[in-house]
Amino acid sequence: MEKKSLWAFGTREVVYSAIGAALYAVLSVATNFLQIPAAANVSIRPAVAIPMFFGVAFGPWVGLLTGLVGNVISDLISGYGFWPWWDLGNGLMGSIPGLIYLSIKNFRSGGDILKAEIMVVVGAAVGMFVASLSEIWVSGIDFATSMATNFTPAFVSNIVNGLILVPILMVAYAAIQGRSGR
Amino acid sequence: MLVSFNYHNRNSLIEKIDPRARWIYSILILFAITLFWDIRFLLFFLALNLGQYYLARLTWKETRRAWGFIFFIMSMMVIVNTLITSAGTIREVMQGGHPIVAISIPIFGWSLDFTLTIERLWFALTQVVRILAISALFLVIPFTMDPRQYGATFRGLGLPDRLAYSLDLAFRFVPTLGRDFQLTLDAQRARGYEVEKLDGGLFAQIRKMAPLVVPVTMNAILSGEDITNAMDLRCFGLHRRTWIEQLKYRRLDYFVIGMGALLLVASIVLKILGDGDFWLPPALLS
Repeated sequence: MEKKSLWAFGTREVVYSAIGAALYAVLSVATNFLQIPAAANVSIRPAVAIPMFFGVAFGPWVGLLTGLVGNVISDLISGYGFWPWWDLGNGLMGSIPGLIYLSIKNFRSGGDILKAEIMVVVGAAVGMFVASLSEIWVSGIDFATSMATNFTPAFVSNIVNGLILVPILMVAYAAIQGRSGR
Repeated sequence: MLVSFNYHNRNSLIEKIDPRARWIYSILILFAITLFWDIRFLLFFLALNLGQYYLARLTWKETRRAWGFIFFIMSMMVIVNTLITSAGTIREVMQGGHPIVAISIPIFGWSLDFTLTIERLWFALTQVVRILAISALFLVIPFTMDPRQYGATFRGLGLPDRLAYSLDLAFRFVPTLGRDFQLTLDAQRARGYEVEKLDGGLFAQIRKMAPLVVPVTMNAILSGEDITNAMDLRCFGLHRRTWIEQLKYRRLDYFVIGMGALLLVASIVLKILGDGDFWLPPALLS
């Protein structure tokens, strides 16, 4: 089956949004539970690669819902409450890499992986920036504080995890693409 | 079991309210709270939200972790905002004012001047009340809303069928994927993979998570193809869906939505009349 338009939302997108969201939530919670020691204030939360990868592999809608719904569910499971602006930020983090979904031809090729990596950085920057800006409005902190305490830790940790794991996931996906017959 | 939801039936008043009404109410109250910097109004909202917390019959044991997390993030934000970055959201609060302590730290020739004013401390306190009020409002949701109802709830709030179904499906996949994760973890451990003892630098440690993340993700993607086919074969998305969980507004729900709307409107009116900006008790200055 050939690839559809960028913003299509059919059965396939419904299913992969749901799978991505559940996966993001489960991996976030499960790897928290493992209590891996963090180095240099960057926690190992490998799950952030999931919305980015789902965006690249299945399009912007799937990336958006994977990040947004996944973050909602993982907060629900951890009992952290509900934080709409961070959910939206996570959604953008998945959605923006999804914008290059149509231009990815071969998940194994260096060029396509590089394109995805660039979009991972852009997506994490925009997503976390939007969430941090909302924190200014909600918590009444100033811009510098928000950048120092909200944006920088989240952004650095997300791009480190994303840059390492997204290519690994892309190469693995290239291997199963044939099996799935699409 | 590694992953499970926090919801269980508590027979509380809050659970009797329609989840759609509770979402509408919570969002309205969030907007009302963010209008204010006057600690008196914020204390009212904090009391209101703690009332909801109390009515939901939550225990300290359940919410301890979440509160700890909120307090950590909040202290970081407030301390940095009050002490280090001296600009502040409300300009006139941060410039001038009545000093309590003035410190001057000489650093290589030029000096770093810092003055802690009564205004700044009071602003920090106001900030704490505001963040706690918002946290208390949303903290209740995971413990008192049935995960099975999310799809129907958001459909009822006007989301398209496909989106609502996707949400519903996501909640249903969570236990399955939790089990898959546990199986993969056990399988890799049996092969000598030690997730508790990842060595190397940060980058190496993240890379070593791949044997855990990749199999779970790829299995999920493969099973997704089957689910897509099964749904297509059953003509998913051709007609309007019906939901097993039926939601119906009752008198209590209209009351809750009405109360939220009233509070927001009253807040906007107060704001237009000039109330609700930063307020410092005059007694503090005398």
